[in-house]
Amino acid sequence: MNDLAKANHNLWKEIMEEDCGDIRHCFNCGTCVSGCPAAEADNPLMIRRLVRMVLLGLDEKLLEDGTPWMCVTCTACEEMCPMGVKPFEVGLAIRRWQTRKDETYLPLATTEIFETGHTQPVEKIGELRKSLGLPEIPPTIAKFSELLKIFQAMLKETEVVKNNDYMFKEGNKK
Amino acid sequence: MNKYGLFLGCNMPAIRPDVERAMRLAIPALGIELVDLEGSACCPAFGTFPSADEIASLAVSGWNLSIAEKEGVNSMIQCGSCYSVLRMAREKLVKDEEKRERVNDLLKKAGKYFEGKTCPRHVIDILFNDIGTEKISQSIKKNLKGFNAVVQYPCHSRFPSDVLGFDSPGRPRMLQKLVEALGATVQSYSRELQCCGGAGGFARQAYQDALKFAKKKFDAMVRETQVDFIVVNCITCLMHMEKVQKEFSKEDCEFSIPVFDYAQILALCIGFDPKEVASISIIPRDKVIEKIIGAK
Ligand code: SF4
Ligand code: SF4
Repeated sequence: MNDLAKANHNLWKEIMEEDCGDIRHCFNCGTCVSGCPAAEADNPLMIRRLVRMVLLGLDEKLLEDGTPWMCVTCTACEEMCPMGVKPFEVGLAIRRWQTRKDETYLPLATTEIFETGHTQPVEKIGELRKSLGLPEIPPTIAKFSELLKIFQAMLKETEVVKNNDYMFKEGNKK
Repeated sequence: MNKYGLFLGCNMPAIRPDVERAMRLAIPALGIELVDLEGSACCPAFGTFPSADEIASLAVSGWNLSIAEKEGVNSMIQCGSCYSVLRMAREKLVKDEEKRERVNDLLKKAGKYFEGKTCPRHVIDILFNDIGTEKISQSIKKNLKGFNAVVQYPCHSRFPSDVLGFDSPGRPRMLQKLVEALGATVQSYSRELQCCGGAGGFARQAYQDALKFAKKKFDAMVRETQVDFIVVNCITCLMHMEKVQKEFSKEDCEFSIPVFDYAQILALCIGFDPKEVASISIIPRDKVIEKIIGAK
């Protein structure tokens, strides 16, 4: 049982951002769930449920809840919500709150982007690219090491990198 | 404007470079000049910085947007989620002065600046609205007559329609018309608009559930159509719709429906070498490719 006496009544203020719409308008109709691919999982993603958790202030439960990370980011819910809530943005805002509270939520791909500018090793298939008639290294940040340094310097000024600096390392690349 | 900046993202240049090659050959053959967006990075994908720190995320998007802006071009994007990320980031940066200022403070130190003068566009939008099906039909040497195709609309290119839509939100038809312009018959089916399920965390966190979800789509497809191949226009759809078929086949139900990106099938019809434009796949595509090349 959830003990509402222990609930964090400021939770919505901690999590919600302007782009989420006004979640107090949510009337739990379930439209955002009915069209959601990730709601078909055995342990489904249900934004309407997450919205209630935020409004009721169930912070401990919410911090343990991994379902926001199942979103396929299709934004169908954002199109369909009859109340102007932005369920997709709510999901992302919850992820950000979870990441701020618990660094184990921090997606490792953010550190890959910091290290290389990409989530995939675009510089590692030179032979294949060449055989297709393409430049071995694509003309992205992967090709310009000076730019990568500037990119990293920019990211070092952001909260997520400052707060988790031990995870963001330059120079892992050749 | 018939000049665009080709935004590559991460998956296409690293995993499916034949799609990159197809775009670099087929689009200019239709009279569009493509320039490189030198120094561009990850969009960044929704599961990365957007899930951790909004300003950091907007700074990375702003980095990318500013490169196209400096070139004075709209960017052309194939990957659905790159398109959605960059379009939604642009919207936020244009509408929210405070965020724009914070992001520009970061960008300025990196020698970059965002104003919002140019805009990311999805390749379907450009092909259909700027080039047009007529021009496409006139530019091909081979055609897809006799083939039955189904199309997969990238979910990220549909919603939120007021921010990034270009087709009818509830009943998109542009990709169908683009495939028909190559001579194929496009067959609709009940789950045509169901997303592939490959993006974001669903397939990563609940793989079996995501497979079941995709299976419903494929079951409907084979039950209701005579599909010869699937045409997608998103790198995730391309990779995922192949991958799931291989998974289904492990469970004793053979699925072997070839999947092509639109630029690949277009490049084949224009006459480019399949070894360059359509050489990487999990599900064999040779038979379809041979038939296209053999067609007059
Ligand atoms: S669609 Fe909107 S109003 Fe309905 S449950 Fe979801 S967030 Fe609430
Ligand atoms: S954006 Fe996420 S939460 Fe919304 S419908 Fe798509 S998968 Fe579900």
